[in-house]
Amino acid sequence: MASIRVHALHALAYCERLFYLEEVEEIRVADAAVFAGRRLHVELAEEGERVELELASEALGLHGKVDAVRRRDGVLVVYEHKRGRPASGEKGPEAWPSDRLQAGAYALLAEERFPGSAIECRVRYHQPDTTVRFPLDAPLRRLVRDAVARARLLRSRTTRPPVTAEERKCAKCSLAPVCLPEEERPQADGQPRPRLFPEDDTRQVLHVTTPGSRVGREAEQLVVTPLEGEPVRVPVRTVSALIAHGAVQVSSQALALCVHHDIGVHWFTAGGRHLGGVGGGAGNIHRRLRQYEALRQPEVCLSLARKLVLARVEGQLRFLLRASRGEPGSRSEVATAVRDLRTLLPRCLQAESLDSLRGVEGAAAARYFGALPTLLGEDVDARLRFDGRNRRPPRDRFNAVLGFLYNMVHREVEAAIIAVGLDPALGFYHQPRSSTGPLGLDLMEQFRVPMVDMPLVGSINRKAWDADADFEVTPEHVWLSKQGRAKAIELYERRKRETWKHNVLGYSLSYARLVELEVRLLEKEWTGSPGLFARFRLR
Amino acid sequence: MAEPRRWYLMTYDIRDPKRWRKVYELMKGHGERLQLSVFRCLLTDRDREKLRWELSKVMDKEDTLLVLGLCGGCVERVKAINPKEDWPEEPAPFRVL
Repeated sequence: MASIRVHALHALAYCERLFYLEEVEEIRVADAAVFAGRRLHVELAEEGERVELELASEALGLHGKVDAVRRRDGVLVVYEHKRGRPASGEKGPEAWPSDRLQAGAYALLAEERFPGSAIECRVRYHQPDTTVRFPLDAPLRRLVRDAVARARLLRSRTTRPPVTAEERKCAKCSLAPVCLPEEERPQADGQPRPRLFPEDDTRQVLHVTTPGSRVGREAEQLVVTPLEGEPVRVPVRTVSALIAHGAVQVSSQALALCVHHDIGVHWFTAGGRHLGGVGGGAGNIHRRLRQYEALRQPEVCLSLARKLVLARVEGQLRFLLRASRGEPGSRSEVATAVRDLRTLLPRCLQAESLDSLRGVEGAAAARYFGALPTLLGEDVDARLRFDGRNRRPPRDRFNAVLGFLYNMVHREVEAAIIAVGLDPALGFYHQPRSSTGPLGLDLMEQFRVPMVDMPLVGSINRKAWDADADFEVTPEHVWLSKQGRAKAIELYERRKRETWKHNVLGYSLSYARLVELEVRLLEKEWTGSPGLFARFRLR
Repeated sequence: MAEPRRWYLMTYDIRDPKRWRKVYELMKGHGERLQLSVFRCLLTDRDREKLRWELSKVMDKEDTLLVLGLCGGCVERVKAINPKEDWPEEPAPFRVL
């Protein structure tokens, strides 16, 4: 039987779910405190006095690296260093239960390695400098053995333990953004929940659009060299994704650097089609197995697809209502579409099969795209108007931008799916196809209206587009020009950063975060707390 | 809203050219070089701790590192005294090249 890391017992004593996520699913998220702790251990090593010792025992089923073992007056002393402060007990400072367990486990290992002497544990807290001592006695031995047995039991299970009842522990837990405890705790609808889901990524998305550019690596920097002009150097820690549009070379060294830092690298054709990419972070098998198990059940797929289509149709309906608000003239034109969409809503939840659901979705899309042209202002350039959706290739300017932006959303969703550890190749609504990940296509349905349609219609009404310079028009298709593409990227990236208040969870977040949140909520549908997926609605 | 970030001025003194090179390259991955061995970095608490951890693995006991956290007022004064430097509060979330 595989042995257990002593460090993992520390997690186990803190929260069983944390132990499961870290040790079984191998999800590790390091926050500031984790890095500070690691630095403490590096700096301790420099003091010269420290003896780090690897210990393992088959009998105990444990292994780990003890900070130091020393002999003091015939007593074997096991040292454990902690960055924080001790707990306050009745008789002065005490070790926290998790630290006590960890030190006890090291003591048992040391006892087996150096038999025959009494053992004392010392936990040194560096803030303030306090050392807590306790002997390796019978209750501590029992504690360690029980913990090892519990860890084994949890490891043999395939389901995640529930979130801890002690809410205050979650506020300081580095895994809260993955575990999403607040989203799992029962709460009345609309009540704001304490937000543990992470804020926006502060790093930049790097789009390279100039044809002939080369992306190389120089130490810890990405260097983008255009055919003409000065190279641009970007510190790699400030990049969250690298997107190559068209003829852009990415050197294998640059690629390796990106993969090492979990930076997604994605390729688009010059025409704006998403070709694929490499995502940061390896998908974990546990999460994928659960996904396969869940999505192989037709009834699970159908119920998820119903929620999804409902969310999409309701999104379309709300956008039409919102955009025509206060304009009685256009309202009458939109009214028919609104009425039709309203009658389609209940049919989303009643659909008996994926096929009939597709029928409902198609009907809704036809009504919606039929009404969309009327949302464009009367003074909009006739060349920017459109008459229904078309693609592959787009035949008018509106569809050219729309298609490009939908591809950007698809990339966003697929990157989030990979980052969460799910498999984009198995979806619940779209048919499995080789080229495009069906799960990405499924999930992006919810984001088409808020992340693309709304900002695009707004930008056209604001006259942000130049019908000549932003497009390349040929008889068969219309493409975005270099300038137009930069405009579309800006429109999309700005929209991503806009924040809004989630109608169910009650906290504010940006659309960029919403994408990842929806993927995590989708995963929750089959890991024990369903009900929050595809519930967000724009007002 | 994003995780709060602050400007840091980081300077170091490395007594060995080999280690200096390593530290220099690592620093270039986090921020912008102002002068030799003087960098400015816009960091969250997590970034800062990560950088200090990564530096502590490279640096030796005889080397020194000085990390100066700059408050909003400090940055304003830096701007006022050195008008050429731009210290953006919130850089654009994306870049098109």
